[in-house]
Amino acid sequence: MDPHSNFQQHVEPETIARLKRGDLSAFESVYRQFERAAWTLALRLTGRADVAQEVLQDAMLKAFERARQYRGDAPFAAWLRKLVVNESLMQLRHDRLHVIEVLDDKLGDDSAPQPWTSADATTLDRALNRLPDDARAVLWLYHVEGFTHVEIAREFGRSVSFSKSQLARATKRLRELLAPKVEDTPCTIGSTTTA
Amino acid sequence: MHDRLDHHGMNDMNDEASLAAALRALPANAPPQEAWRNIAARIGRRRTVRRTVWFTLPAAFAAGIALTFAWPHLHLRAPSPPPARVAQTPSTAKPDTRPIPDVAALQASSAQWQNWVQNLSHNGGPLDGRALASAVALQDRIGMVDLQLSAAARDPAAAASLWQQRITLLQQLGLLHLQPYLVAEQTHPAPNHVISM
Repeated sequence: MDPHSNFQQHVEPETIARLKRGDLSAFESVYRQFERAAWTLALRLTGRADVAQEVLQDAMLKAFERARQYRGDAPFAAWLRKLVVNESLMQLRHDRLHVIEVLDDKLGDDSAPQPWTSADATTLDRALNRLPDDARAVLWLYHVEGFTHVEIAREFGRSVSFSKSQLARATKRLRELLAPKVEDTPCTIGSTTTA
Repeated sequence: MHDRLDHHGMNDMNDEASLAAALRALPANAPPQEAWRNIAARIGRRRTVRRTVWFTLPAAFAAGIALTFAWPHLHLRAPSPPPARVAQTPSTAKPDTRPIPDVAALQASSAQWQNWVQNLSHNGGPLDGRALASAVALQDRIGMVDLQLSAAARDPAAAASLWQQRITLLQQLGLLHLQPYLVAEQTHPAPNHVISM
């Protein structure tokens, strides 16, 4: 798992063992440990708080009810994150109602500087939410959760080129959304009025 | 991350790194306060239903089996002829020996099954699309039986047959609501739901 992921946390084996036995207090401690990571991921992938809340509940319930399926081959956090990603993408597939903007490949300038370096969190957050769902989800999984294109393609049930093109488009669109607006001032040079 | 390096130039790599850093720097949000309460409540409800199911399932099957065996007796119970009929029947006529089924017992049994189904439906989780379609179809058939029952009030044999149909349909409906719990209890879930690491 990417070291920068919010899910990069260790869960005590004893806690996992209790969780597998259906211990609700163990589950609550796991929930408290990962609630912010799971909520943030669900919110970033789905783009809507109401959907993210549903994702959080469903994913956590599955974690509790399927804890016995966790074999321990990978970190528990990665298993939990997979549940959240699966639930989020399932919601996106079932609820394609809030595509805000259609990406246009012809727009944008790749050579522009990196406007996200100077954007504050609120501006970046707002720009992220204006991206189409798939593009935003791919962008987040790739850059924050450290998924590879192959892994993203598998999660979406699409090709690797889908993942790459969504990432490229999302980056381009984000650049446009964050680029400082140049005011269109009318050129007055030489436009003398005659009385 | 091998596929991050295969086609990118240095500028792109810088772009990627700076964008990744900007996104990671966004603060993690906390979920709404009620999120945990909702999850805990859902677990509580599911546990209650599961307990109820595992207590009532054997009883339900036993009741079903008992009903199957008891049905011929209920149906063929020797009637005591109504006095009015005896009075009106000439002495030379053969007495009516057709069995009158115990409609009241079937009616009571139907009510019990209905309560059971309602409890399951009320406390259980949502049905998936396929099960929901089957449940709606069963409920439609129960509605049809109810209509026929209202027309069969004067024919005990027909009424008994319809009550029996109603019970069978309710049993099928109950089993539909039980399916998620039966699946959840299995050690090996459906392949498309397996998440094991």
